[in-house]
Amino acid sequence: MSSEQIALPDRTNCVRLLRMMREIRQFEERIITLYPTDVMVTPVHLHIGQEAAPVGVCAHLTPADTIFFTHRTHGPALAKGLSMRKLMAELYGRTTGCSRGYGGSMHVVDPEHGMLGSSSIVGGGIAMGVGSALASKQMGRDWISVSYFGDGATDAGIFWESLNFAALKSVPVLFLCENNQLSNVMPKSEHLSVELANAAGAFMPASSVDGTDVLAVHEAAGRAIRRVREEKRPVFLECRTKRWMKHQGIERDDLPWNPVDREKDCPIRKLEQRLSEAGWMTAETIHDMARGIEKQIDDAVEFARQSPFPAEDELIREV
Amino acid sequence: MPWSRITQSHAAHDGDRIITYKEAIGEAIDQAMEYDPRVFAIGLDANDKFGVFGTMLNLTHKERVIGTPISENAMTGVALGAALSGLRPIMIHLRVDFMMVAMDQIVNYVAKWRYMFQGQVKVPLVIRAVIGRGWGSGAQHSGTLQSLFTHIPGLKVMMPSSPYDVKGLFLAAVKDDYPVIFIEHRWLYKNTGHVPKEMYCLPIGKGHIVRQGNRLTVVATSIAVIDTLAACKDNDLDVEVLDPRTLKPLDEELILQSVAKTGRLLVVDYDFPRCGFASEVCALVAEKGFQYLRGPVQRLTFPECSMPASGVLEKAFYPSSARIATRIREILK
Ligand SMILES: Cc1ncc(C[n+]2csc(CCOP(=O)(O)OP(=O)(O)O)c2C)c(N)n1
Ligand SMILES: [Mg+2]
Repeated sequence: MSSEQIALPDRTNCVRLLRMMREIRQFEERIITLYPTDVMVTPVHLHIGQEAAPVGVCAHLTPADTIFFTHRTHGPALAKGLSMRKLMAELYGRTTGCSRGYGGSMHVVDPEHGMLGSSSIVGGGIAMGVGSALASKQMGRDWISVSYFGDGATDAGIFWESLNFAALKSVPVLFLCENNQLSNVMPKSEHLSVELANAAGAFMPASSVDGTDVLAVHEAAGRAIRRVREEKRPVFLECRTKRWMKHQGIERDDLPWNPVDREKDCPIRKLEQRLSEAGWMTAETIHDMARGIEKQIDDAVEFARQSPFPAEDELIREV
Repeated sequence: MPWSRITQSHAAHDGDRIITYKEAIGEAIDQAMEYDPRVFAIGLDANDKFGVFGTMLNLTHKERVIGTPISENAMTGVALGAALSGLRPIMIHLRVDFMMVAMDQIVNYVAKWRYMFQGQVKVPLVIRAVIGRGWGSGAQHSGTLQSLFTHIPGLKVMMPSSPYDVKGLFLAAVKDDYPVIFIEHRWLYKNTGHVPKEMYCLPIGKGHIVRQGNRLTVVATSIAVIDTLAACKDNDLDVEVLDPRTLKPLDEELILQSVAKTGRLLVVDYDFPRCGFASEVCALVAEKGFQYLRGPVQRLTFPECSMPASGVLEKAFYPSSARIATRIREILK
């Protein structure tokens, strides 16, 4: 379904979706400005251009729902409720960071918001999402779990093994593939021989959606998550997105096989246009929103800068 | 291919030609592929524009480099099957951490196949594992793990520290009919040294003394050799530095000879301490060279924890030439 056909959710929800996407975008843009000054000594994988996927999905999750994502953490982490302060402080390597400075950009945790740890080894988190769903089922709880991964991760055996087990045991997990058609610099055509929704469809209900359109993602994820919750079973959803930045670092991507139209493919612009047409946002209210977010980011940066580094003698703890 | 024709000795250094470690490993791969059409390379991102940190950019036979999906475990099985069937694969991992996904194939299959079937099938497989150190990359991206491989019977483990060694050992590894884990520290790539142009193989299991000294033997591996040399030079320490080059098989004789002369042992190995390579060398000397010892055997390794991300902690985590010097001075006090 294309965006024009999708009815707008209510106004509050729409504004929330926009705000969250902008928070991610502007947070990442601040990283781009600060990074060259070496205040953040940690490799970053930015989410710019792909904001619609985490935002559209996480809008349907409660803090109790768990989520397991990989190296590209900032988008899903913020969308799931990690505070900017804690994320920024983690990038700054401070004790107030979400992982107390021990994790860095790729390894974030926030148990209060259902984030039980992200892994930078591609693939492993997928199984952990299934295990978390198994726990919910066995303990008779009603929260669900999300395995959140990229197209590259589906190369790994553990992806297929996890689909199989989740289907066998019928556990409440959403397999969410954020497919930017790239695994590092490799195009999807070079690393994967199937259409994911078709292949996953052999195990469970599976669909694919335009991941540059937050309304489309929001609707498809809503449907998928409702099934996971109500039918207590696994569902697969693919969000087709575009990566704007290089795999890692703060430069724009320039791979010939990754043509990006930064106007047409921009999930934020798309939504802003719809909201303007509906008369719910104006250039001015959007500007105010952006300014508010900048202030929030200023606060996060200041918080990080004021926070202490871990002490050397704290090196060996929790071993 | 008559690999036996490749000279086993490492006669004289080629005095004229100085190249980098990176160029030396690249040249070895290129020459091996050129010399023997059965040699091919396979690995995730092995064929992309970065060319495995630039080590494989200038290959004559690019068509024999296979890029793979993110499927380390299955790909190791693929490489093993190819090796059993007559090819000589070079498998590549950009970080040793990713290689852990393939440990089932490496430990249960690659290491055991030749023994379990008593040499009726052979495993001419080289697995390149690139190691490095953190830049805030944290626990899952900064591993070294040489001790883990050294622990497994059936695997040979090489950790060359110089351009000369990396070429000679790599060719020896490709020539060998046993599986070899070939560990390269990224920070060595820019180092330069004398390297002969022609193909040559270093003997597997022979270490060498890189600096003569009398009061202490330091056995060091990979980049720790460089750090130890710097520590000795900067502080004018009367220390013998020994580079085993291959962790397995290990040149026990050379280590014992050196300790017989100096009476003391320090092992500097950048890996976790427990059941590690450093412990192994200490055990060797305690068992077979106890009578030479004038003090306790000592280790300088990573601390007993994973790699932290934050800069302060990273600095506390990694040994350095300064810390090696301090430790040596303590021992010699
Ligand atoms: C097991 C493993 N192999 C290789 C890598 C190196 N690596 C990090 S991210 C990445 C690409 C992942 O692509 P995808 O899953 O599509 O996520 P994206 O970066 O596109 O968000 C690779 C190969 C890794 N982290 N783990
Ligand atoms: Mg991808």
